Amino acid sequence: MNNTEAGSGQYAKRSAFKAMWKQLQKNKGAMIGLVIIGVIVVVAVVSQFAFDYERDIIAQNVANKLQHPSLEHPFGTDALGRDVLGRVAYGARYSLAIGVVSVLIALVVGVVLGAAAGYIGGRFEDVVMRITDIFSAIPSVLLAIAIVSSLGKSTFNLMVAVGVASAPSFVRVARASVLTVRGEEYIESARAIGMHDWKIVLVHILPNCLSQIIVQTTLRVASAIISAASLSFLGLGVPAPAPEWGSMLSEGRAYIRDYNYLMIFPGVAIMLTVLSFNLIGDGLRDALDPKLKR
Amino acid sequence: MHRYIINRLLMLIPVLLGVVFIVFFIMDLAPGDPVYQVAGEQATQQELQELRVKMGLDGNIFTRYIRYIGNMLRGDLGVSYISKRSVMRTYMERLPNTLVLASVTMLVAILISIPLGIIAAIHQNSMKDTVSMILSLLGLSMPNFWLGLLLIMLFSLKLKWVPSGGIDGVKSIILPALTVGMGLAALMTRTTRSSMLDVIRQDYLRTARSKGVTEKKVINKHALKNALIPIITVFGIQFSNVLGGSVLAETVFSWPGVGRLVVDAINQRDIPMVTGALVMTTMLVSVVNLLVDIVYAYVDPRIKAQYTK
Amino acid sequence: MPANDLILDVKNLAIRYETEDGNVHAVNGVDLQLGYRKTLGLVGETGAGKTTTALSLLRLIPNPPGVVECERMMVAGNDMLRLPIDKLEEIRGNDISMIFQDPMTALNPVFTVGEQIAESLEIHERLSKADAYEKAMQMLETVGISRSRGAEYPHQFSGGMKQRVVIAIALACNPKLLIADEPTTALDVTIQAQVLALMKALKNKYDTSMIIITHDLGIVAEVCDEVAVMYAGRIIEKGSLEEIFNETLHPYTEGLFNSLPNINDRMSKLRPIPGLMPDPTNLPVGCTFAPRCGYASAACLERQPRLTLMSGTHYVSCMAYDDPGFAINRRKQ
Repeated sequence: MNNTEAGSGQYAKRSAFKAMWKQLQKNKGAMIGLVIIGVIVVVAVVSQFAFDYERDIIAQNVANKLQHPSLEHPFGTDALGRDVLGRVAYGARYSLAIGVVSVLIALVVGVVLGAAAGYIGGRFEDVVMRITDIFSAIPSVLLAIAIVSSLGKSTFNLMVAVGVASAPSFVRVARASVLTVRGEEYIESARAIGMHDWKIVLVHILPNCLSQIIVQTTLRVASAIISAASLSFLGLGVPAPAPEWGSMLSEGRAYIRDYNYLMIFPGVAIMLTVLSFNLIGDGLRDALDPKLKR
Repeated sequence: MHRYIINRLLMLIPVLLGVVFIVFFIMDLAPGDPVYQVAGEQATQQELQELRVKMGLDGNIFTRYIRYIGNMLRGDLGVSYISKRSVMRTYMERLPNTLVLASVTMLVAILISIPLGIIAAIHQNSMKDTVSMILSLLGLSMPNFWLGLLLIMLFSLKLKWVPSGGIDGVKSIILPALTVGMGLAALMTRTTRSSMLDVIRQDYLRTARSKGVTEKKVINKHALKNALIPIITVFGIQFSNVLGGSVLAETVFSWPGVGRLVVDAINQRDIPMVTGALVMTTMLVSVVNLLVDIVYAYVDPRIKAQYTK
Repeated sequence: MPANDLILDVKNLAIRYETEDGNVHAVNGVDLQLGYRKTLGLVGETGAGKTTTALSLLRLIPNPPGVVECERMMVAGNDMLRLPIDKLEEIRGNDISMIFQDPMTALNPVFTVGEQIAESLEIHERLSKADAYEKAMQMLETVGISRSRGAEYPHQFSGGMKQRVVIAIALACNPKLLIADEPTTALDVTIQAQVLALMKALKNKYDTSMIIITHDLGIVAEVCDEVAVMYAGRIIEKGSLEEIFNETLHPYTEGLFNSLPNINDRMSKLRPIPGLMPDPTNLPVGCTFAPRCGYASAACLERQPRLTLMSGTHYVSCMAYDDPGFAINRRKQ
């Protein structure tokens, strides 16, 4: 009995994804986004092998400082004589990792709490939702700043801070999705045949809100990357000398007048990464909700 | 309606108490004992203990929390470790700068996004639509502080039209307001467009046209008033982002508002200042959201009716 | 030949919607004439092009995707095809107005019903806000709603009341031509009769000419002087009420009557018309009704029949009548 249940759930999931992918392929923006993301991932991976972190990325070479872009240094060198191209390429790993991990933290915390709140209801739901209200009442940048400053500056703490700041929206989405399907008859019947609660949530409820959550996740990665770069720019993110894009902009700021290439490349890198996640997220949303395209 | 407002105000109280607790809790996680920070290296154990009581740092987190709430109700948010001045007073000195910036920012955002969103919606899938959607997507993908740096490079370093920072006359607000405003406009253009698209196919617009209402009025009066309802909500939510986002703009443009106050306080480990500023800003945002909900009810008679019942 | 004693004179109206999936041919060569103070019933099933025809009379077909082609469209002496948009706006709601099908969505939710009625008065009669509102209140009373409710919003009204408001809006400026698009379809049966009686009374009071769009032959019998039956964007039979009801010619019209329940013979079964209307993106070459027609011959599938005058004012578009001995079953009884 349970096997066929799970099997049919699996089937529905797969065909829903297929339909979504088919819709997505028609979306030019989303395809462009996927290509950009692909390139950035390749850059992040290749730079791991192409550069030696100690020698090429963080080693200072003051004799070579502040050189305008040239053939040897296509993006120029920074105030400590480091090759900006190498640092921008290497920095992709930070932004991608922080964006993805922090959203995963938010996703796990948010979906578990939200789904549980929606499914269990009652007192528990009230408490979870009030706490969510409280967290979302604090402007998310300020919340993240407070968390990082309290936990201390490190890449992992930055992930936690950005993750906690984006969790409330996942709680809401997950709860709302669960609420819409909770009353459906197939949930009743699953319960009637004696399925465990957690299994009902896992097999029947979550797959139904999966698409919503995927869209939310993609768009959230985009804003998490911006938040992380912003915090680093404020000096509250990835500690120096790591080549995080936000902190590169922060370091280059002193030379904005005469060496503005230092401002351009890391910024463009952030924008392209964020843009591609936004494009994919928009494409996914349109694929799920064709109403807006009409 | 009055009862609705009072209800909403009452509902705000537990949220604010929770906010204070969370901020308090987060700041409590910070390593290091502020008493050492203030007293210096060579203080004796006795001096430290006296100072601890004097600074209100004795007792566990709950006692301190209750005490803080009590003081807060009297308008006392403590004293800065660094400047030794009242947190409340310092915050209030900085607040007008932030409010001015936030208001001008909202104005910029509204002036850009509403017309752009409407044009995009009524010419859906046309060139105009595509261009404004691409622009808003770019705006949405640009970190605010970077946009600010680019604007500084262009308008103050290259063209020398406006100062690159500080607060000195009307000119100095242009760049920070544009920076935050453009980022915000990117998002709000999308909201306006999709909200307008929902409305634009409604039957009641056809009714209006059949009455002989001019096309301009059909859009600006009949459609817009309906489309505004979701737009206002998003604008309200965005106000909190403006206040949060002002941290960055204020840093980039050396704008002496509450955002920079927070960043400076964090860098100086000035915990009472950080706590106070966070609590105050959150309170401000909550009150603004409440105001937005009231405006919302005013615009949408269906909601007003629901609450007056 | 345009005639001055006609409130409505339309020749060869064709409307298509150009979509990504091809052109939807909604209306394909419709001629309509209507005398002053007359009521025309435009009858046909959903998708026959009735509403599209009506909207085009106010030039309210959205373009894109709609494309209107027409030889002549005179409404109350106005050449609707050549008027600039500002003149059209003067005519809409003043000379011609329209009652829409669904009162639930036809009213703007964020304005009071009083404001919505007063708006056309402000536009067309150049009344001040206060005067327009006062007249709107009178209008509200005319349609049987107490003036105290003028300050309420649409969501506070029931469906039947909303339709009364829609009627009040349409009649506010005493239009010469009123187009009512399924004015009672969305309403309960008991309310339908009330609304219909109200419309009839107001039409007589204000000497309005009227086009009623409906698929309900009962309504047609009750209020119409003339009837035009539409099928797949064409008029396939038209004539006076008596001609259509008593001397039915077209097999489709016969089918419509057959699908009505017969109150005198409760044992008789309904005889619905088999099949569906052809896809308007891909209309057949021959008679559009032929695939569903019990009388169809091979010739019907090859050529489009013309609307031909049979007797009096009675036109039909059916090739079977090329044979003088032909008669449909309904006429044989």
